Amino acid sequence: MLAVEHLDFAYPPPGAGLPATAALRDVSFHLEHGETLAVMGASGSGKSTLCHVLAGLAPRYTGGHVAGVVRVAGHDVLATMPPTGAVGLLFQDAATQLFNPTVEDEVAWGLEALGTPPQHIGAQVEEALARFGLLPVRAGSPWTLSGGQQKRLALAAVWAMHPHVLLLDEPLGGLDPQGCDEVLAALATLHHSGTTLLLTTARAPAVALAPLTLLLTDGMATSPASTAEVLQDEARLVKAGVLYPSALWPTFEAPPGPSSESAVAVQDLHFAYTDGHAALHGVNLDIPQGQFVAVIGPNGAGKSTLLRHFNGLLRPTRGAVYIQGQDAAGRPTGDLAREVGFLFQRPEQQLFAATVREEVAFGVRRLHLADVEGRVERALARFELTAHAEMPPSILSYGAQRAVTLAALAALDTPILALDEPTVGLDGCDWARLLAWLAERRAAGTTLIIVTHEMELAARADRVVALAEGRVVADGAPDEVLSGPAEATL
Amino acid sequence: MSVALDFYVPRDTWLHRLDPRVKLWEMLLGFVTAFLLPYWWAQGAFLLGLHLLLLYSHIPWSALRRLWRQMAWLVGLILVLQPFFAPAGAVLVALGPLRLTVGGLIEAVLLAARALVIAFIIGVLLFTTDQRALVQAFVRLGMPYSWGLTFSLTLRFLPAIQQLFVTVREAQAARGWVVEGNLFRRLRDYLPVLVAVIIGTLRMSDRLTLALAARGLASTAPRTVWRDLRMRPPDWITFIVSALAFGLLLWVRWR
Repeated sequence: MLAVEHLDFAYPPPGAGLPATAALRDVSFHLEHGETLAVMGASGSGKSTLCHVLAGLAPRYTGGHVAGVVRVAGHDVLATMPPTGAVGLLFQDAATQLFNPTVEDEVAWGLEALGTPPQHIGAQVEEALARFGLLPVRAGSPWTLSGGQQKRLALAAVWAMHPHVLLLDEPLGGLDPQGCDEVLAALATLHHSGTTLLLTTARAPAVALAPLTLLLTDGMATSPASTAEVLQDEARLVKAGVLYPSALWPTFEAPPGPSSESAVAVQDLHFAYTDGHAALHGVNLDIPQGQFVAVIGPNGAGKSTLLRHFNGLLRPTRGAVYIQGQDAAGRPTGDLAREVGFLFQRPEQQLFAATVREEVAFGVRRLHLADVEGRVERALARFELTAHAEMPPSILSYGAQRAVTLAALAALDTPILALDEPTVGLDGCDWARLLAWLAERRAAGTTLIIVTHEMELAARADRVVALAEGRVVADGAPDEVLSGPAEATL
Repeated sequence: MSVALDFYVPRDTWLHRLDPRVKLWEMLLGFVTAFLLPYWWAQGAFLLGLHLLLLYSHIPWSALRRLWRQMAWLVGLILVLQPFFAPAGAVLVALGPLRLTVGGLIEAVLLAARALVIAFIIGVLLFTTDQRALVQAFVRLGMPYSWGLTFSLTLRFLPAIQQLFVTVREAQAARGWVVEGNLFRRLRDYLPVLVAVIIGTLRMSDRLTLALAARGLASTAPRTVWRDLRMRPPDWITFIVSALAFGLLLWVRWR
């Protein structure tokens, strides 16, 4: 069904004077009808590029140099674009591939492009929506769906075209645990229905549903082997950057001499969005300097809303927020940035400078901090970005983009760090780098406030604050909170 | 995400079901009528009729109020300025060369009412027609499909670009960006945000190009259309009745 032989691919140079980037080197594998293959590789190992080449999009739409053979159901993909619908591709960022006003129009669009007789389209749309559990939202806008629903819709839209091969680029990437469960259930039904699937992933746990797995490292692939066998070789997975078992995590040693002074204090915080949705109802918290706090809770509990108050991105509807003992009211976000370093979700949307170096230097210059050069160089080196310093951040892999946003924070060296879901979508190497930095900041006495769905990370904190429906439902040491009754709802 | 450009209020009424091509035809007749009627009271009656039609079609008051709010500045501007541009009849107040006259006031009210009539005629189309049907109507009237798609994509991505602007501004604020000082400095401070939004928009369009290609935009097979527009008897009747009514209006006006 899918044959790949000695495939090489290099992107054109990203700018004048920069080298072309080899993304795939001598990749070969075969996939028979109805088989499912997982391609596991760290961020930047060439997974998305492989999907784009197999779908006929690269180098046709991206530029670059390709060599080797790619055949889908006998069609030479490198010579001519595969027939419409022959190869389905689920993009990593599902939201950008949705462009119709309603959910059902989204599924119908590809069928119309195929020239399906109009009288058959309705039934096929219905079937696809039913298969991916989207019938209740069929008339809604794709925009208003949750992350998991958007992925399922994008999947329904490509599946409805009945492709010979379905390529899924990081189907679980960027999703919270609930979204992951939704998509995994959808993938399981696809696997059992005999669809030929190739899925890519940066984390070992996601390959469970594929009987075969191939490891991709710096564009080079191993031969597909049984997934159970691949997962057994832990050391190799760690080396490939797809696994970072908690046994290897650094110890988060507390700073010497704990402080009793307050870093962040929240008093009776209420917040409602302009559309009337009340997100926080009377939250009280006092976080002393140097404490490591994990904020946990289900989607929509108000975790990000709470965190956004710490640097003034949101202002209380009622109540007060104090940063290092000072009332945050009336201080602009750009000023609070001196004390609170804030990490947003979705790093790819935060990058705005022409080069990685400029991106990291932005905050240092804006805040008129001393030793701009030294701070930037150290931050670049800390996150292994020195080699990428002159590249535009927008062309980097997801993991590298996350590293740029972390380096931009590290360069500011703020006494408080507020991180919103920093681990989402990270591969093993990125995890290792993030945790090493966090351990270092913790030892230096930085106050760490981390919103996370990763319970193992929360278990390493000094204190866990559990939110549900805009209220603190548990607040205490990790072993108390994570084993308590509130944990069942998280 | 706020979709500020989407006026559509989904309901199942006669007007919602009416073929959008007929609605476009009605809109054209409405525009011409609004320009032909020289009486403010006739424009007022027209406006009242449009309100009744929208309320009858289950469009909520809140939607009508939103349109009134959007038109308020234009109507206000007309009412304040127009009387001085077209003085006629008895002078009410004279301020140097500026004269407020009865004729000027009537003219201003007529113009303001006409502007509102036109806004509410467009409202009738946008409140009761979903985007897909609207694009389909234009395509069926001869617009190439690629133009229709571009139009839909623009409507779809404008809110996304607006969101991108907010995201970038927040990301920069979180790294010490503060807007302060005079207007010139403020504009200069917004430059990095604008540059980032432009780059972000280009990236978004790159990804969209790939997504469209992967879903068969370049397909050589002729595109089919699911739920294509079809003129039903009520559509034809509305089309003919409105043409006759318009003819009658012309006859009454110029006989």
